Amino acid sequence: MAQMPALIPKEVEIQRLKKIWLIVIAMGSTAASVEVDNFVDGSLHQTSIRDSAFTPAHWWLYSHFITLPLGWAAAAIYDRKVPVLRGPNNSINTGLKMTILGYLATMFTIGVNEMWHFWFVEEIFAVPNHWMFNMGVVVAFMGALAYVVRVYARLVELGAETPGENPYVAEMYKMALEGKLYSRAIP
Amino acid sequence: MTLPKGFGSSGAGGASSSDVEKMIGRRVENMTGMITISYIAAWLATFGGTAAGYFYYPWAYPTNSGHFAFIVLTIIEAIGYLFCVKVMEEGSKKNSNGIVAATLAATAVGTVLIVLFVGH
Repeated sequence: MAQMPALIPKEVEIQRLKKIWLIVIAMGSTAASVEVDNFVDGSLHQTSIRDSAFTPAHWWLYSHFITLPLGWAAAAIYDRKVPVLRGPNNSINTGLKMTILGYLATMFTIGVNEMWHFWFVEEIFAVPNHWMFNMGVVVAFMGALAYVVRVYARLVELGAETPGENPYVAEMYKMALEGKLYSRAIP
Repeated sequence: MTLPKGFGSSGAGGASSSDVEKMIGRRVENMTGMITISYIAAWLATFGGTAAGYFYYPWAYPTNSGHFAFIVLTIIEAIGYLFCVKVMEEGSKKNSNGIVAATLAATAVGTVLIVLFVGH
C-alpha cells in the first residue's frame, strides 16, 4: 500500500481514527434501524394513505435526517485533527463534502415535500417532490462510504486493523489510500 | 516533526511520550463506561419512542408493532454497542467482556419484560 507521510505520531493517529470510528459505528446502527423503519412506514401507508409528518413511523424515519447530519458534522469537526484525511488544498475531506451536500439537499426537500403534500395527498415514491430527497440521500451515502473506507484503509495501513481478505475489497482500500476511489484527481 | 504550540521540549527533537499522551487525551480503550451509558440511554430512548407511539397513536401504531420495533432496535443497538467496545479495546490489554455481557443480558431481560407487561 502507498505510504502516507507521518504528520502526527502513529499512536495519536490510531486513537483519533478510532474516535471517528466510534461515531461511524453509532451512525451505522442508526442507518440500520432506518432500514427496518422502511417496512414499518410501508405498513403504515397501507392503512393510512397520507398522514401527518408526526406519526410514529415518521418520527423514526425523519429522526435519522437529524441524527446522521449531526453525526457527520461531529466527524467533520474532529476530522481536522487527522492530516491524512484532509481534502485538496487542506479543505474538508471530499467524501464529507459530498455527504454534507447530500444532506443539505435532503433538508431542503423535506420542506418542499410538506408543501407538495399539502395540496396533493398521494404518497407515491416516484412523485417529483421526492426526487431530490432520494438523490440527496444517495449522494450523502456515497460520500460517507468513501470516507469510511478511507478511515478503515488508514487504520489498516497503520497496522491497527486487519486488511480485507477479499481481493476486490483489498483493491478498493488500496485505491482509497492512493486517493483514486472516485477519480485520479480528487484525493 | 512540527508539533503544535505547547508540545515538545524546547529546541529541536521529536515528541516525547508525555507529549503523545497529551495529544491523545482520553484513550479509546478507556471509554467503555461512556459507551455503556450511551447504549443504555439509547435503549431507554427507544422504549420511550415506541411507547409514545402505542400510547398516543394506537390507531397508527398498535402495541404489537411498537414491541416488534423495540425488539429489532434493541438488537441493532446491542450489535453497535458490542462493536464499539470490542473495536476500541482491540490491540490493548483492556478487557471488558464482563461489563458487556452483563449490560447486554440486562437489556435483553428488560426488553422481554417490557414486551410482556407494558402497553397491553
